[in-house]
Amino acid sequence: MDKIRVVHYINNFFAGIGGEEKADIPPEIRPGTVGPGLALQQGLGDEFEVVATAICGDSHFGANLEEDTAKLLDMIAEYKPQLFVAGPAFNAGRYGVACGTMAKAVEEKLGIPVVTGMYVENPGVDMFRKDLFIIATGDSAADMRKSMPKMAALAKKLAKGEEVLGPSVEGYHERGIRVNYFADVRGSERGIQMLLKKMAKQPFETEYPMPVFDRVPPAPPVTDMKHAKIAVVTSGGIVPQGNPDHIESSSATKWGLYSIEGMDHMDKKDFMTIHGGYDRAFVTEDPDLVVPLDVLRELEKEGEFGELANYFITTTGTGTSTGNAKRFGEEFVPKLLEDNITAVILTST
Amino acid sequence: MGYTVVTNNVRCRDRYEGEYDVVYNEDWTYLEVLLQVRNLVQDGAKLITHPMAGSLKPNQTPFRSVVVGTYSMEDKEPWEDVMLIENSIDSCQKFLRGRPLPNWPEDIKKDCRTLDLSFIEGAMARAPRCPGTTE
Amino acid sequence: MRLELGKIHIKDVQFGAETKVEAGVLYVNEEAIRKLVLEDERIIGCRVELAHPGESCRITPVKDVLEPRVKVSGGGEIFPGALNKVGQVGSGRTHCLDGACVVTVGKIVGFQEGVIDMSGPAADYCPFSKTQNVCVVIEPKDGLETHDYEQAGRMVGLKVANYLGEFARDLEPDEVVVYETKPLLEQIAEYPDLPKVGYLHMLQSQGLLHDTFYYGVDAKTFIPTLMYPTEIMDGAIVSGNCVAPCDKVTTYHHFHNPVIEDLYKHHGKDLNFVGVILTNENVFLADKERCSDMVAKLAKYIGLDGILITEEGYGNPDTDLMMNCRKVQQAGVDVVLITDEFPGRDGKSLSLADACNEADALASCGNGNVVIHFPPMDRLIGMTDYIEMQIGGWAGCKNDDGSFDAEIQIIIASTIANGFNKLAARGY
Repeated sequence: MDKIRVVHYINNFFAGIGGEEKADIPPEIRPGTVGPGLALQQGLGDEFEVVATAICGDSHFGANLEEDTAKLLDMIAEYKPQLFVAGPAFNAGRYGVACGTMAKAVEEKLGIPVVTGMYVENPGVDMFRKDLFIIATGDSAADMRKSMPKMAALAKKLAKGEEVLGPSVEGYHERGIRVNYFADVRGSERGIQMLLKKMAKQPFETEYPMPVFDRVPPAPPVTDMKHAKIAVVTSGGIVPQGNPDHIESSSATKWGLYSIEGMDHMDKKDFMTIHGGYDRAFVTEDPDLVVPLDVLRELEKEGEFGELANYFITTTGTGTSTGNAKRFGEEFVPKLLEDNITAVILTST
Repeated sequence: MGYTVVTNNVRCRDRYEGEYDVVYNEDWTYLEVLLQVRNLVQDGAKLITHPMAGSLKPNQTPFRSVVVGTYSMEDKEPWEDVMLIENSIDSCQKFLRGRPLPNWPEDIKKDCRTLDLSFIEGAMARAPRCPGTTE
Repeated sequence: MRLELGKIHIKDVQFGAETKVEAGVLYVNEEAIRKLVLEDERIIGCRVELAHPGESCRITPVKDVLEPRVKVSGGGEIFPGALNKVGQVGSGRTHCLDGACVVTVGKIVGFQEGVIDMSGPAADYCPFSKTQNVCVVIEPKDGLETHDYEQAGRMVGLKVANYLGEFARDLEPDEVVVYETKPLLEQIAEYPDLPKVGYLHMLQSQGLLHDTFYYGVDAKTFIPTLMYPTEIMDGAIVSGNCVAPCDKVTTYHHFHNPVIEDLYKHHGKDLNFVGVILTNENVFLADKERCSDMVAKLAKYIGLDGILITEEGYGNPDTDLMMNCRKVQQAGVDVVLITDEFPGRDGKSLSLADACNEADALASCGNGNVVIHFPPMDRLIGMTDYIEMQIGGWAGCKNDDGSFDAEIQIIIASTIANGFNKLAARGY
């Protein structure tokens, strides 16, 4: 019998090409296993063969998401794989997003089973958990020895069309897919048992965890616009030319504060966009589209509001985890309060 | 001061025309009715009837009527109404993604119109005739 | 109130020259039922068919399912205010033909009603695949107005269940179950050390084919009220709704409310079941605010430590469910919700149309969007002309041999949201 053909995806670091300084290498593919592919091959056993390893730098992938995905897909398709494994990416955010993106693309375009692996806090988990089987791994490569066998075991089941059991059995991140089963006792009795525990302040487990929305009630309207001090905050990725603070084009981990003092609009000589989630052509030409300094200055002159803050605050929204987004707010809001900002205009893209 | 009925159900229009403001367009889909309602809610109108009244899911009936108030009810957070209409739109899109609305024959459409009107009639029979006042 | 429920176990149902129960077999006289049903001039045709568990038989479109019961003593009659004279029920002695059901079948509104398969894969999901069913297939007068036809169909079920129940009056029950709830102060005093638990029963009340009646009163016109749990066992609550077969609470399920039955099993052991609060699921948003306020007030007023809440339906009722949950929990009464889920075909979307942080304890009654195969059956009671239009079906889902694929929401009471079944959903 022919062996089941497998393609593995890893980043530059795991391919042994180098660290962050080599994160901008373009897509390539090599026959056979590279790096952790050996452990994958061992886990899969003799019925499988890792026929090729696709490699890309995480920065390159993040900055050229669509092009790189398409290129890698073509390279992978040539090896006629029957199974695709990406990573594991552990807690590396951009690598996680790349693994998730590639696994999803391969599943959709090539119609073959895919598996990847990530640490629970990797933003790729929330982005792709509904679409993919993502094995739960530790937060660093030290966990490779434990994670790869789990990924291999699940990949084998998928490739052979065997039944995949629940997340706690197979070790993947719960996908949020609701699957029916027949319980031992009926719902009313289970509800009563849950209530008895809840009333006794004992631990209990709900059968449907409510979606958690971190809802913030809107602030009361500004009553005195004539004297209001306004600031602009954006997740649209506008930064000074050259991106001095190296804010990521996706899955941002930082934010920046930049001066607009004395400017009457956002000039393309001074500002650029690094956002990886939209077509940048128009904004590159006119950054006012995201930070509308031009009209704000006009309104300021006309006395529609009191004063515009002499800076704006910026980050990239695409792929950014809600945890990081919340932290950004906690970090810069004290500054806004300290500067007596009355209201903020949030622009998104 | 009064109510506005947003609907794509001709029976609902005929029932309430003259009594309330009626915004009617027979070409609107269920979802488009909800989007119209969202526009009004964003402009400050209050929801009077639940946007997903009835157990017929958005991919089971083409007809939808929602009543909004053209007044401001001060003891109520507008946020709640915004969330309710947004959740309803989400939920509507979820069902339509799963399975589109069938092209019902006229007799079934007729039944759908009757049901839709019944939800609104049941609710409006309980609403004060002049919103904001107690009778 | 103290109610003795005498159960006459029914193992089989057969046609007979006269209606009677003998050695666990219910014999039905078709002509007598036909005559009874055709008394209503709005109905021009009536046929009785029998269906037994395990048969290759499909029943559709099903309107309601009822258990034959009769009030033997204690005052009042079965289905007070809906069929029989209004009068307080819930005390004394009631007899039922346990294991037999009346199933009303017939077109009302094209896509409304559900399916019962007596065997095959769909039978696992339906409680009425396991009962001896007397199916009453009715045909409306041409051009009958929808509201009138709904009402006529509802009365058929009540009349036939009442008629058959009458034959249980003088029988010796195989089993007598006693349910008792005392007046509030006495009930609380009886088990002073046990947590006081109540049940909030939300009744469907959105309009035509979405209504429920309490002593004949349309639930959308009442305000939340207290009920002794035993009242429901004498037919104080009657179902007048058909929509979404899977989570329809049939009149049978009101008789056999699982939360009430199971709370009685725990009563006096690890909890003190003090009573039921009834509320509605109205379309008028001010009613939702008003009624959920009152529910929280009543829960606190009668001193509850904990409460179970069940709903009927999806969408609009989810808003009531969450409002009730939030307000009752905030009043300091621990809440557990029981409901079914509609997370879409792939199971990936949100299960409910609303959510709140207080809803931290929920028992699932399953995902109604799951698709299963319904194989061909040898016998059909009713008609499958509407399968593609019934809820859960779709254009092209039916094959020439009579088999079809559909979501389990087409099966009567498959995901009934009061915890009657063992079906549940979990996260994968």
